[in-house]
Formats: sequence, C-alpha cells, structure tokens
Amino acid sequence: MAVHSIFIKAMVKFLLCLTLLFTGCSEKNAHDASVTGDVITLTYWPAPNPQEVQLADSIVRSWNRLHPNIQVKMQPIPVSQSTEEVLLAAIAGRTTPDVCSNIWPGALAEFTRLGGLIDLDRFADFDSAIISRTPADVVASLRDPNGHFYQMPWKTNPVMMFYNKRLFEVSGVTGVPRTYSEFYAAAKNVTRDTDGDGQTDVWMGERDIRPIWWQRWFDYYCFYIAASSGKTFFINGEPHLDQNASATVLEFFRTCYARDYFPHTFFQGGDPFLLERKATHFAGPYLIATLHSLAPSLRFGVVPIPVPDGHQGPVYTYGDYKNIAVFSTTKHPKEAWEFVKFLVQAKYDLMLLQIANQIPIRGDLLSNPIFAEYFKQNPLMIEFARQAVYTRSVDAAPDLKEIFDAISQEYEASAVYGKKSPMEATLAAQKRINVIVEWNK
Amino acid sequence: MKKMKLKYDRSAYLLVLPYIIFFLLFVAYPLIFSLVLIFHRWDIVTPMQWVGMKNFERLINDPLFFKSIVNTLIFLFIHIPLQIAVALGFALLLNSRIKFRSMFRTIYFLPVVVSGVVVTILWQQLYSFDSGLLNRLLMIFGIPKIPWIVSPEMAMPSVAIMATWKNVGIYIIMFLVGLQNISAELYESSNMDGASRVQQFFSITLPLLNPTIVVVLVLSTIGGFSLFIEPYVLTGGGPMQSTLSAVLYIYNQAFYFNHMGYAATLGFVFAIVIFAVIMIQKKTVESESLE
Amino acid sequence: MKQFFKYFLLTLGAVMFAYPFLWMFAASLKPEIEIGGFSLWSSNFSFKNYEQVFARIPIARAFFNSIIVSFSTTFSVIIFGSMIGYALARLNFRGRDALYYLILFTMMIPFQITLIPQYVLMVKLGITDSYLALIAPTMISTLGIVMFRQFFMSIPQALIDAARIDGCSDLQIIFSIIWPISRPVVITVAILSFMASWNEVLWPIIVVRERTLMTLPQIVTLFTIGGQAEALLGLQLAAATLLALPIIVAYSFFQRYFIDSMVSSGIKG
Repeated sequence: MAVHSIFIKAMVKFLLCLTLLFTGCSEKNAHDASVTGDVITLTYWPAPNPQEVQLADSIVRSWNRLHPNIQVKMQPIPVSQSTEEVLLAAIAGRTTPDVCSNIWPGALAEFTRLGGLIDLDRFADFDSAIISRTPADVVASLRDPNGHFYQMPWKTNPVMMFYNKRLFEVSGVTGVPRTYSEFYAAAKNVTRDTDGDGQTDVWMGERDIRPIWWQRWFDYYCFYIAASSGKTFFINGEPHLDQNASATVLEFFRTCYARDYFPHTFFQGGDPFLLERKATHFAGPYLIATLHSLAPSLRFGVVPIPVPDGHQGPVYTYGDYKNIAVFSTTKHPKEAWEFVKFLVQAKYDLMLLQIANQIPIRGDLLSNPIFAEYFKQNPLMIEFARQAVYTRSVDAAPDLKEIFDAISQEYEASAVYGKKSPMEATLAAQKRINVIVEWNK
Repeated sequence: MKKMKLKYDRSAYLLVLPYIIFFLLFVAYPLIFSLVLIFHRWDIVTPMQWVGMKNFERLINDPLFFKSIVNTLIFLFIHIPLQIAVALGFALLLNSRIKFRSMFRTIYFLPVVVSGVVVTILWQQLYSFDSGLLNRLLMIFGIPKIPWIVSPEMAMPSVAIMATWKNVGIYIIMFLVGLQNISAELYESSNMDGASRVQQFFSITLPLLNPTIVVVLVLSTIGGFSLFIEPYVLTGGGPMQSTLSAVLYIYNQAFYFNHMGYAATLGFVFAIVIFAVIMIQKKTVESESLE
Repeated sequence: MKQFFKYFLLTLGAVMFAYPFLWMFAASLKPEIEIGGFSLWSSNFSFKNYEQVFARIPIARAFFNSIIVSFSTTFSVIIFGSMIGYALARLNFRGRDALYYLILFTMMIPFQITLIPQYVLMVKLGITDSYLALIAPTMISTLGIVMFRQFFMSIPQALIDAARIDGCSDLQIIFSIIWPISRPVVITVAILSFMASWNEVLWPIIVVRERTLMTLPQIVTLFTIGGQAEALLGLQLAAATLLALPIIVAYSFFQRYFIDSMVSSGIKG
C-alpha cells in the first residue's frame, strides 16, 4: 500500500510539471513566453470548409501581429459531425472555445438554455459596433426573447430566384416574373412537352416533394418571409404564424403542383436546373460557382423571389445566417469581444466576399468604395448584396427541426397532394408548433 | 408435499446465474429506467431534465403518434387476413395428392429466410410507378398504372402486400402441418354422409385448424407491431405519413429529433396498446372457440 | 383437369416467390438503362455494379462483422439456453417455478418499451459502437430456454443418474451426455438464433454509427437510403443481392432445418 501511494504522488507531481510546461508555452509570435502567462491565448473556431479556414487563417495572422499580448489560436471544427452537435457537446462538457464564427441562429436556443454564450450587449460599444455595420431591423430580428444579444451578425446566403434565360426566350416569356400571377403566366409557356412523347420535359420549377425539414427554407419559408414582409414564425418568443401570408404561400405552391408546373415525382437523373429541365431555381449565391463550373453555357439571371400580386415594399427572403458568438467559458470576455469586432471590419468582409463568395451582413456593400472593385468583377453578386439587408434568419427557438418538420408535413398535405386547404394546413401547423413550443418550456 | 424432491440442488443457482444477470441488465433495468425516462427530457448530450407529466401532455396532443398507431392497425387489418387466406390456400393445394411438394415448399419459404432489407429494396423496384415491374405487367394487359407507394391511400396496403409475400411461407407450412394432423377418416365419413367439399371445409377443416389459425394470428400481430424496416427503407414513412408505423415514429423522435424522454413515453404507451390488442384478441378467440 | 389447375396455381405461386429474386440478380448485372425489363438475360451483363458496391462501402468488412456477431450470439444462446433449460427441467431448487414464470413474463414484454432505455444503457456503459453492444442484449434467448427446457424434460432420468454416479458435474452432463442426443433442439435453436441475429437491423442502426463496425444488413440499408447509391438502381440491387447471398447459400444446404426450426418455434410459441 505504501509503495502505491508514493508512486501515485510521484505520478501526480510529474503530471503537474508536464501541465505547467505546456501552459507555459505560447505561440511562436509571442514576445513574452513566461510561465506566469502574460500572454492571453484565445481559441477561435471557424467553419470547417476550406475557404473559411483560409479566411480565418489570414485574419488570425493579422491579429496576432498587431496584438502580441493577445494571441488567437485557430482550430477548425471536426468535419464529421454538424457544427451544432459539436458545439452542444462542447458546451455540455465545458470545452468550448472563446469565439466561434459558425453559429447558426437556429441552434441558439439550445446554446442559451445551457448558458453557453455570453450576452454581447454587456459591452458598452456593442450598439455602435453593430449598428454601424448592420441595418437596425436585421439586428432586431437577432435579439433573443429575453432582450439580450448573443450573436454578432456576420454573413448570410440570401435565397433568390435563378432563372434560365434561354428557356424563357424559347417559350416566349418576355420579362422576368416577379409576382405570383406573372410566375403562373410564364409557367404556362415554359412547362411543356418538347419531344412529343406525351410527357412533360421542361417545367417552370421543381422542388423535392419529400417532407424534409430544411427543404422548406427554399420554398415555403423564404416565400413566407417575402409575403409577410419580413416576419418569421415567432414574435417575442411566442409562436405566431402570419396566417394570411402562410395561406397565400401554400396556395401558390398548391397551384403550381395542381397545374403541373412542378413535377409530382422525385426527379431522378441529376440536378434539373443544371440539365436545363427546369426554368427557375431558388438558391443562394453558392449556386453561381456551381453553375460556372458544371454548366458554363447556361445563361442565367438572378432576381428576388416572387411575391403575391399587389405586394408593396421591398422583397424579403430567407438568409442562411452564420454569426459570431463568444462562449461563457471564456476567461477573457473583453479581449474576445475585441477579436469579434476585428473580424467584422470592412477589409475582412471584403476577403469573405473574395475568398468564400459569401455575403457579409453589411448595409454599405454597394455604397462603400472598398467593395466597388469586387462588385465590378462579380456583377451577379450585386443582386445578392442588395438582398442581404432584406433577409431574415430562422427564429432562435428550441426544436426548430421538429417545427420545420411539422411545417413540411402540412406543406406536403396542402401543396403537393392538395388534400388540405391552405388555411387548414396553416392552422394545423400553428397548432402543432404551439404543442412543440409548450413542451419545450 | 412432493415425494420426489428430496433435496435442493445448490449447483442450479450457478447455472441460472447468467440469466439473472442478463435479466437485471437487459430487462429489469430498462423497464425501471423507462419509468424514470418518461418523466424527463434528455438528448444524451446535455444533462437530464425533470419535466413531470409534460411528455404525456404532449402525447395527448400529438396527432402524429395516434396516426402512427392507426397506420400500424391498418397494416394489421390488411396483412393478417391476406396472409391467412393465402397461406391456407397454398396449404390446401399442397396437402392434396401432388408431386414435388417439398420443392414447392422450399421455394415458398425462400422469402422468409432473407432479410427484410433485401425484400424492401427488391419491392421498391417492383412498386416503382414509372418503370416498376408490376406496373409494366399491368400496362401489358392494358390496365392503368397503380401508384403503389406514391399515393397516400395505396402506400400502406402496398407495404402489407409486401409483408405478406415475405412471411406467408412460414404460415403455409404451419397450416400444412395442421392439415396433415386432421385424420382422413373424418373426411371419409362425411363423404359417406354426402357432404360437399365446401361443407367439409367449413365443418371439419376450419374448426380443426382453429388452434393453428390462432397461432398464426398471434404471431402475425406481434410481428406486425414491430413494423419498422419496411417503411423506413421503402417510403420513409410517407407519403403524407401514411406508412409511418409506431416504431418508426418512436425511432424518429429518439434518433432524429433526440427526444429520448418523449420517445420512451411513446414506447411505454405503445406497449400498453399492444398488450390491450393481444388481450382483446385472446378474449375474442377464446369466446369463439367455446361456441 | 383438377390436377392441372392445382399444378398451375402452385407453379404460379412458385413463380411469384422465386422470380423476383432471379430478376433482382439479373438486374444487378444489367446496365442501368436495361433494368426495368422482365427478361432475365442481357447481352451486356457485367459485374460493374458489384465493383462499385465494393468500392463505395466496406461491405466485406460488414459481412465479417455480421459473421462475428451472429456466430457469437448463436453460440452464447445455445450454451446459456442449454444450461438454464437444463436447470429448469431437471434440477430442483427453490424459486425454480418462479424463475420459469419470470422467463415467460419476459417473453411477453414488447421490445418497444425497452428499446430506448436499452440504448441509453449502452451509452451509459460507454459501449456504443462495439461488438459487445450488438451481441449482449441477445446473448440469452428466452425462447431458446423454453425450447431447451421442453426437450430436456423428456430425457430419461436414468441417463442423468448414471452420469451422476460416474461423478459428472452438471456442465459435463449437459454438454457431454445430453447434447449428443439433443441434436434436433440444438440445431433448431441455433438456426433461429442465427437467422434472427443475421437479419437484425433496427438495433445495429441504433447502437452503431461507426462504418467499420456496421453489420451487413445495416450497411446495405444505409447505402440504399443514404444517397451513396445516387439513386442508381443497379447499385442498390447489387447490394441487396450481396446481402441475400449468404443466407440463401446457407438455406440451400440446410433447407429442412430452416423450415422445421421456424415452424416449430411458432407452434411452441
């Protein structure tokens, strides 16, 4: 027994020494490498895709050069799991980084429920830092129901309508449809049987008819946001569908399916937009790169998604936001906040555009001269830049997956199969969302 | 007092010990833990949270759960009569004076040994609306194509037909054994009384097959309640959740939405439903056989 | 005439049950465009689909995993089933009848209620993604115990007494004396256990996420619905054929045992 305890004590001392040795070491760039830790080290997790890792690398290098006493260490998130799963596990295990720039607003409710994030509005310069960059109504949409802000808006992928110019031309469609009626009129021309075999070969549009929850972002949800002029599912933390908007949107898709403007079966054999089998596609700016590389001869244009006839005001849409947050395990909140502000400077927003082709949520994209050259080179991105400030994210509500699953089922019943009226489906969806939210309280 | 048992065998305890351990780990613990889990909310990653009766409140307001149970019952109501009818039919044919009986038996039993996954992948092609074999067969005869698994009305019946095809082999053989146990004299004497084949079927065959029918009924019911892999692979539960079986819904709640506590609650209630159905079946069958 | 009609129906039945398998195998060899035809022959037969399946998923590894899991489970079931069946049938101990009723009760518990907690137990013990998690919950089969007990009850007591006198322990009695004359029940339980374990797919999907540990039906399932097959029918059918092959081979050699086992389990259950 005595031998054991001596051995154990020796092991403990040895391990202590090892730990001191490792914590004492800091980045090569540091001037001060003292064991007492004059240098603060922050860990930063960017998204795991190569472009954002490259961007993060540049930003971190610049920062480390300018801030010898506050060094940032970048660690990419493991690719095998979804970021949300990794972050949730990290929060539960208290192994979170200081800063992460891959925060999806939909997961926020889970993070804050566990107290994983710090409120950024505790910092005196939060208001000025955020308002100078992002329009007020977008900022307001990111406020947590308890009144605080847990995320710094960073970038978005607004969903817009891509259209095939050639398919419009050959079927006699002049002008690009912007309202539902215009869409139906164009669809009537475009959807037809081109080779006389009795089956439709070209459609106006196409959607995955399976009720997969996130697919709704590219039909029901973005159209709902547009039709309701910027509303989402929740108001002040309570579920509150804009029933008229919802019914109008469901009616639109129901009409498209009823008149066979969209195919009723699962499209097999590749992407129909790339194959020029459908004339419109609802997607974000990432599609541009795909089209250039896989379908270079496809002539396309981009406009905001259709709105109900008689719609007034700007067209809003769904933007797949990724934001920046600081975790509550941080020992240096003030320094972490400085790094966050550093990340969203104009020159790095420009790099975000150049390296990753993603839109920073800035109000001055088209007015600030720093971006002028980029938009001259990439005129298609101008549409997305203009749309960026008219976007909404998903609500920071718990169980979003199941909420969208419920929506998907009502959409399937009403739009795809025409078995429920749009208002019936809307009310049923509202009811189920209420149950889900109630259960989560 | 039993005269034969003079002493207790201590060594027996060692022999049954493995089962005791197994029982505690895989029966007792899960049962007890399920009673804990149904009052909590848990997603494995974060700590468990007490929610009292919330899971039950949610269950009562969950149309999808009730739909999944109804779907399962619809499946049973189509599958079981079909299975009994088909199995009995083939068994009667095999029971008569024919050659190659064991060859036919072997072939009919083949789908039984194969995995349900194979059967489902195969039938996905048979049921395909545009190019599936079944619809092509119909088109040859000029019959319009049937939307086997793409119509909410046809989807579950299609699953039931597929399940019958897979399992009927066992029951053909069970009926065969049952038929062969009916003594030929009974038929001979009723023949002399002038009974027709049909009369013989209803007055001799069916009643004497009753025990076998009961076994087929109970086994099919228990099997039917565990319907999972067929809808999971064939339709994903659709279209319009018409093939969402109860087990599939429980699986989705647990592993797609990470609601362990709610899923455990669903499992608990579903187990009670199963129990109730089997009890009702037992009572009905017992009262019928008393007549 | 009646005979002809009977043979016609029986043959129709045989076609209904056998043709789809033949078609599946033939289709897996055809190029994608030709799948969909009834014919079992194509001039363009090739094993390309099979090559693709082997390239895209670790199917050989999955086969190996299934072998390990199924053999281990079967072995365990017949060993423990014999031991406990023997104790219940031939030995006398306090609580014997209670234990038997407990076992019968356990048989009646629907798995739907224990499924989730059992998974949670695996997580808590930290054994998800392991062979143990796949084997342990089915290591002892209550049906096996019942079937062994029933069979062992009919063994002549004299045989056992003679062995006792020779100084045999219980285990020796079970495996050296009783087993040799219990071939039917051992084979029956073994086949039932093997088939159930081989074809089991819900439990592996739940406890195993690591691709190298997946069982054969599991990996084929995920291949089909997971999009790796890219909606190419040929690949899906090839994977399904590979999954069906081992058990069909076993079946062709041991038909009678398969049929008798499954039927007798039903009658006794």
